[in-house]
Amino acid sequence: MRVSSRRLGVYAVALAFAIVMNFILPRLMPGSPVDAMVAQLGPRATPAAVEAIKARFGAVDQPMLWQFVDYVKGLATLDLGVSVKYYPQTVVQVLGRSVFLVTTAIIFSLCVGVVLGAISAWRRGGRFDTIVSPLSVIMISVPPVIVALTTLFVFAVSLRWFPVGYAYDPNLDPAFDFTFIGSVFAHAILPVLTLSPFLIGEFQTTMRSSMISVLGEDYVTMARAKGLSHLTVMFGYGARNAMLPVLTNLALMLGAVFGGSIVTEIVFNYPGLGLTLYTASIARDYPVIQGQLLLMTLATLGANFLVDIIYGLVDPRLREAV
Amino acid sequence: MSFTLRPILRQKKALAGLIIIVALWLMALFAPIVAPGEPGARVGRSHQPPSIEHVMGTTKMGRDVYRQFVWGARSSLSVGFATGIAITVLGTAIGLVAGYAGGRTDAVLDLATNVVLVVPNMPLLILLASFAGTVGPMTIMAIIALTSWPWGARMTRSQTMALRNRDFVTASKMIGEPAWRIIFVEILPNLTTLIGINLVGSIIYAIVAQTTLEYLGFGDPLKVSWGTMLYNAQNSSAIMVGAWWDIGVPAVGIALTGLGLALLNFTFDEIANPQLRSGPALTRWFRLTRARNRELELGR
Repeated sequence: MRVSSRRLGVYAVALAFAIVMNFILPRLMPGSPVDAMVAQLGPRATPAAVEAIKARFGAVDQPMLWQFVDYVKGLATLDLGVSVKYYPQTVVQVLGRSVFLVTTAIIFSLCVGVVLGAISAWRRGGRFDTIVSPLSVIMISVPPVIVALTTLFVFAVSLRWFPVGYAYDPNLDPAFDFTFIGSVFAHAILPVLTLSPFLIGEFQTTMRSSMISVLGEDYVTMARAKGLSHLTVMFGYGARNAMLPVLTNLALMLGAVFGGSIVTEIVFNYPGLGLTLYTASIARDYPVIQGQLLLMTLATLGANFLVDIIYGLVDPRLREAV
Repeated sequence: MSFTLRPILRQKKALAGLIIIVALWLMALFAPIVAPGEPGARVGRSHQPPSIEHVMGTTKMGRDVYRQFVWGARSSLSVGFATGIAITVLGTAIGLVAGYAGGRTDAVLDLATNVVLVVPNMPLLILLASFAGTVGPMTIMAIIALTSWPWGARMTRSQTMALRNRDFVTASKMIGEPAWRIIFVEILPNLTTLIGINLVGSIIYAIVAQTTLEYLGFGDPLKVSWGTMLYNAQNSSAIMVGAWWDIGVPAVGIALTGLGLALLNFTFDEIANPQLRSGPALTRWFRLTRARNRELELGR
């Protein structure tokens, strides 16, 4: 169940990479972001505030190394910097909504994709397979923006089946009752459905090819020869063992899922990490953009770590190997 | 050339994909003939639905959507394909070197691959793009290529590692061939299918990423492309006022490109891994026996 130290090393370097990018970029870019930010502050630009921004974005006469040490010190105390514009939401809320969207989409598409993949491998060349498999490849290739805009137009604007935006009905007070939770779900359905197609496509494709090679194994022939039912052989013997590459693929795709969630949140006006990142990037609100990159990297790393642990649980061979 | 194209052309799916892609490219290349006139010119009133005069309607600014669609294909396709090629070259080179060199070089390159793979691309792209301000196609290309090579590098690396210890590589080492020659002349040709898959996949990814960045407003607003069309449509709240043609047309263009590439990729996958073929399992064997029987009959 332990995750190999090599993986942990990768995570550490990835985090360091994100931090260094955050640190270096504003210092490298032409046309000082500092001036832009000071200009944005307008009347709020007290000498102290200007100094603070300068210190953070490298307009001070200090060696690079010291600036970097200061920057990391700031991060360690969870000081993500001052937003140039004011954001009323707390980080936890915003992060929570994105994680909610992404997790729901992943679980939903994992179930659908794995079952579809298993069936199309079981009946390879059958009618089901010849329709579903090319469809998956197509679903992977259509950008989430397009899917999001189409679903928004068809289901929310034209048919009015679902709300057009936000995480829940703004007229309701957050509470732990039926109407509120119902509203949260109603608002999440379209974004989740938008995130799902490319995930379902990926999982179906991976599952199908891995299932095909598993079905060639002797123990599957043995199970069939014993006269076990089709369902038992398919899921108990085949799918169970074919799941591993799907999990690997899931780990590789987590970054892309978060990327997709950015677009989805923007199109559906869903106040999560992605929308915050977007509004910040329009306003050129650098501290918030940087904070978002760090948060997203942390979220992706956390999710990767989780997949690593699950992988260890699912594959007994790995438990001993570490 | 013909022998590499034949397996692709024999498959109906791949042929359909190829036709879609070629048609879109031809449309882009012959834009001045297909849709004469300046794409940015105001030709009508705001948000007119499709009519005989403007077959795909007009935008909020009163521009002809059809003209924008045809001219926009130029930027979208060329940036998408060029970026895809850049990603593939970068990924293949890094994967080849890592897989062939092994040792410390491999350790460093593999670490870099895993790190870039784990850091979420899209936020990184947005961060880079927002610091760079409004960016031209070249910058978009560079940003996308630098953040998305690891997929290809991973595949190429493991394949190269499998090839490295084959006899023909050992033999050429003993002859004293230089490393670059072994990599590019001995090993590279064995990776053709893999590179094909990587290339098509990278182009798809590049088009997705480019569209997203432009939709978010990081593209050059003065250049017509499908992504900036979406951006302008979004900004003029085309969806809310029911101007479906304004957003639908570029969306269909991008979706069609994706569809064409997907169909091609599906076939590449099947060539690389015959197990995945969905045709009846023994078709080829049946065809062979039938041919043999026919020959036997003829001989008699």
